[in-house]
Amino acid sequence: MNIRINTPEGTRDRLFAECLERRQVQSALVELFRRRGYTEVITPEVEFYDLFIQSGNPIPQEAMLKIIDRSGKIMVMRPDCTAPIARVAATKLKHLALPQRLYYDQTVFRSGQAHQGGSSEIAQCGVEMIGAVGVKADLEMVAMAVDALRSCGLAQFHIELGHAGFYRALAGRMNMPCDGLERLRGAIEGKNFALLNDLLEPYRGEDACAALRRLPYLFGGVEVLDQAQALAGPCESLDHLRRLYGELCAAGYGDYIRFDLGLVHQLDYYTGLVFRGYAEGAGGPVLSGGRYDGLMEQFGRRAEAIGFAVDVDAVGGCMAVEAPRLETVIHYGSGLLAQALAVVDSRPAGSCELSPCRTLDSTMNLAREKGAAGVLLLDAEGERWLTV
Amino acid sequence: MSGRLRIALTKGRLQNKSVELFEAMGLDCAPVCSPGRRLIHELPNYPLDVVLAKAPDVITYVEHGVCDLGVVGKDTILEKGGAFYEVLDLGFGRCRFALAVKKDSSFYGTYKTRRVASKYPNVTRTFFEGKGMDVDIIKIEGSVELAPILNLADGIVDIVETGATLKENGLEPIEDVAQVSARLIVNTASMKLYKNEITDFLSRMERELEGEA
Repeated sequence: MNIRINTPEGTRDRLFAECLERRQVQSALVELFRRRGYTEVITPEVEFYDLFIQSGNPIPQEAMLKIIDRSGKIMVMRPDCTAPIARVAATKLKHLALPQRLYYDQTVFRSGQAHQGGSSEIAQCGVEMIGAVGVKADLEMVAMAVDALRSCGLAQFHIELGHAGFYRALAGRMNMPCDGLERLRGAIEGKNFALLNDLLEPYRGEDACAALRRLPYLFGGVEVLDQAQALAGPCESLDHLRRLYGELCAAGYGDYIRFDLGLVHQLDYYTGLVFRGYAEGAGGPVLSGGRYDGLMEQFGRRAEAIGFAVDVDAVGGCMAVEAPRLETVIHYGSGLLAQALAVVDSRPAGSCELSPCRTLDSTMNLAREKGAAGVLLLDAEGERWLTV
Repeated sequence: MSGRLRIALTKGRLQNKSVELFEAMGLDCAPVCSPGRRLIHELPNYPLDVVLAKAPDVITYVEHGVCDLGVVGKDTILEKGGAFYEVLDLGFGRCRFALAVKKDSSFYGTYKTRRVASKYPNVTRTFFEGKGMDVDIIKIEGSVELAPILNLADGIVDIVETGATLKENGLEPIEDVAQVSARLIVNTASMKLYKNEITDFLSRMERELEGEA
């Protein structure tokens, strides 16, 4: 029989340094989340397909990995962590006082296009704060997003803030049909200036037109907010962002904060603040989140919610983690296991291991094969170092 | 990044046009024009490194962030899609996607499901989906004009520049599908992380393009 030895496209075996990278990021994040009062939720890897349709988060049907169960129902490998957590919070946790602070550390599954180099298994670590609204709740989230990337050891990164309400207010002032608005949103999201100009040309007389035309350029430092105000007039969402920025600066987070008022993705889902994290070394966002006050209601409980997820492997890929090198192999005599283990436990992880060989010669060979620097001999006469 | 941006240019005609544009912007493109064996060409008087690639690979490199910028035709963007910013219409490499059929044949007036041959199955699908029309799409790798002549397909969706090739083969374009020209695309993370560098490059380019127009 031929044995299949490959893994399916989009999946991979992670070995050594790649595992360390992932675990290092996960443990830094989990430690932070717990310290800030978040408790862990683990949801099933397999859920009903309907759950993710209900949530209003537009994950394309073809991106979900589907399974048909024995009764013929369609199940999917969890493509997102927020919807399952909203389901839990709206049902099993409905008697707990709000706000509820929850975190997760699990894999999501999304099948991408073939041969694009993407992964179908995405390790996500994230948080949801349910039942809190206003500047302070948003502030806590953004500060934690900065701390999350900082705690992973990233040096060059920033968190970029936008607001779903800004675009909505502008679009609401346009006398444009729905499908036109959707194309407009796509052009702004993709910073497609040429298409945006074409789409807006027939509407040049309308007062929101100038602001919409500039929207894709409105990213960068805090000066963006003033530019936006000059174009669009005073606006609640800009005031909100300005208040947030003031507080973040006062708390010492200002250097990490940028703005992009052209963040207009998934507008049916996000209702307020939206944010993304970018780090040097990653070709896409490493963190993304926002406020989705309408989600919980889909599961039968009215409550505001805000959260973010970190793409663990994207962050891990920005760091240089090296797998430890084996230095020492220990050859120990009869009755000396405790001493041998004491030595192993005192050394840096992975730099020292016990030899299972009976004779010292075999241990020396083993050490040579594994590229260790030498053998530590423990016998009745004490310990001796033998260089390979 | 070491303060230098990296751009991928589509090999061939778009490459020549891009180089012309760069030189008009005052960038010394000598290393690109006489490439030798090197694959990454460092421009001497502007912090920009140039690589040359086939059109779909330009998108791949930019999407993965190994190149910050790219010059690629809208035809490839429409067919391949992807997540990046499409910031400038460079105005050159102009042509159009059109639906062409055998001269004097009727494509629409029938209940029979039409069969369309194309090198661009996604563009074709999107076009007919927009019309709410079911068609069979056949992917052809070489000369698409052959498919209707051999009666494999009722029509083709292909790039048309002058229409001369179609005419020679007894075909005529009956409908425009999309307009095509070269675009400047930018990786989403690069745009945010290297805003100043990219804005400088973009505004030089825009100034030059406006000057031409």
